[in-house]
Amino acid sequence: MSYESPIREALVTGGKTYSDVTREILHPMENKASKSWWLAFLFSALVLGVWLFYVCYTFWEGLGVWGLNRTVGWAFDITNFVFWVGIGHAGTLISAVLLLFRQKWRMSINRSAEAMTIFAVICAASFIIIHMGRPWMVYWPLPLPNAFGSLWINFNSALVWDVFAISTYFSVSLVFWYIGLIPDIATTRDRATGMRKHVYNFFSMGWNGSTRTWHRYEMVSLILAGISTPLVFSVHSIVSMDFATSIVPGWHTTIFPPYFVAGAIFSGFGMVLTLLVTGRVILKQENYITMGHLDAMCRIVMLTGTMVGLAYITEFFVAAYSGVQYEQYAFLNRAFGPYGWSYWIMMGCNLIAPQVFWTKWARSTPWFIFIMSIFVNIGMWFERFVIIVTSLHRDFLPSSWTMYTPTIVEVGILIGSFGLFFTLYFLFARFLPTINMAEVKSILPTHSTSEKGETVHG
Amino acid sequence: MLLGIYDNPDATLNVTRSLKEKGYDVHDVYTPFAVHNLDRVLGVKRTRLSIAAFIFSMIGISTAITLIAYTGYFDWPINIGGKPYLHIPTYIPVTYELGILFTAFGMVACFFLVNRMFMGKNPDIMDIRVTDDRFVIAVNIHEGKTDLNDLSAIFKNGGALEVRERIVEP
Repeated sequence: MSYESPIREALVTGGKTYSDVTREILHPMENKASKSWWLAFLFSALVLGVWLFYVCYTFWEGLGVWGLNRTVGWAFDITNFVFWVGIGHAGTLISAVLLLFRQKWRMSINRSAEAMTIFAVICAASFIIIHMGRPWMVYWPLPLPNAFGSLWINFNSALVWDVFAISTYFSVSLVFWYIGLIPDIATTRDRATGMRKHVYNFFSMGWNGSTRTWHRYEMVSLILAGISTPLVFSVHSIVSMDFATSIVPGWHTTIFPPYFVAGAIFSGFGMVLTLLVTGRVILKQENYITMGHLDAMCRIVMLTGTMVGLAYITEFFVAAYSGVQYEQYAFLNRAFGPYGWSYWIMMGCNLIAPQVFWTKWARSTPWFIFIMSIFVNIGMWFERFVIIVTSLHRDFLPSSWTMYTPTIVEVGILIGSFGLFFTLYFLFARFLPTINMAEVKSILPTHSTSEKGETVHG
Repeated sequence: MLLGIYDNPDATLNVTRSLKEKGYDVHDVYTPFAVHNLDRVLGVKRTRLSIAAFIFSMIGISTAITLIAYTGYFDWPINIGGKPYLHIPTYIPVTYELGILFTAFGMVACFFLVNRMFMGKNPDIMDIRVTDDRFVIAVNIHEGKTDLNDLSAIFKNGGALEVRERIVEP
């Protein structure tokens, strides 16, 4: 139905018909799970077990089992939180911003990217709860009239804004994802039998493909995209304000919101590439997630990586130019102090490494893209570590200067959070269509059916 | 009700157009994906969900402002770091987020409501393949008014794979 200029590369290759799309995308769901799926799932579940163990240990013993001290009050916990929230941003960017820009290549990757968003935000939110140390008081940042003297929460605090931002982001992303899933759940329902049919029937909400419904559905998707776009920019801006509204040198900068948003998109696309470069091969979806998709995502990685690098250099310049000696010291300490190594890992992975994507070879070699995407993930984790720990560990009073070393508990929770993420992701890949079939069908060129001589134009 | 089943969106669109031109009572067209222009050809009125979304965003924004101003200024002002109590710039983030939250949930609730969709609803499916690769045009038949032969001729000439009747419970 869609018109594509003949000089453009096809978005879906292989001359698929509509039923090919349905059959191939539902293939991993309708058949017995492969050995590789079980292996990957059980391994992730094992890592999730590590997470569960260390989180319970932390709750049992208290935050004292972490490496935090009086000077460095935030370290791995908030690093991981910002890291995971950042990962989530690519999903919303792909499904919302690219929808507004009418970028049709988003259609075969938006489902898995949105799923990634939701699972990443779950991981991020778990760190918020874990770092409180007393999870049974998790409702304290909510505006509830309380029994402790009619006190309300402080709406001037960036941390309260963050509570609203993250919970809005999670719930709106979930709704957006579910709305997109309904037609595909209906497709699954109509092919399923037995118990599976009942389950998919329940969640398909009686979808029957009526044009009236589609008309409203398109409007709802458009508006959800329209409100998710400012949402995705606002969420990471608000996360950055957790730092920027404080007076800690190295945090107190106005560049933080755009810098964090660029970094979030960068890290998110890194994770999308990690998942899709492997997923397209394992799920045999090379015709849907084509080299063109990988190429486009590599370009975005390069662009946002360069923006992030520009922000690093700008920060340095502004610190030097400001004439504030605390700022100047914070940045010199960041690059050449005891944590200098982490700064150079960050610079190397985020600014320098993505520059290889200027070459066509790098953008069209999947194994190389995979390695680079791992670099991006590592680099962006270290960016948050650098910002948080190097700014804190040498504060205004030299007498309180100290070093921070994570304990096994913190490392275990970090590694375990990947288990949480991948367990959820593998479950998603097993039980829900990983590619938005309805949207992919709408971008198939109509002649893919007429070539077979089945079509008569009326 | 007479159903014409197609495998191609262009044919579906063309047949729907000629049916509408000849004044048939086209009940609805069922497609596996959103076929552009089909809603216009079918004469579906532009949905008012965007207006609903705007109203919900206003409700969200006013709820947020009321909540923050009531708790932070009227009910129990607390001096934290000397920050002002009634300070509009610090209201912006929460107001913004709640505006988006209310818009999303309100609009989606309206979407489900107008479509009469709810979890666990049993679908009224014209043809089970409609969510896969078939396009179904459903035309209401009025006793004595609708020319069945002409209608099925239009369906067939338009490239219908199958034309069949469906009894609708009143």
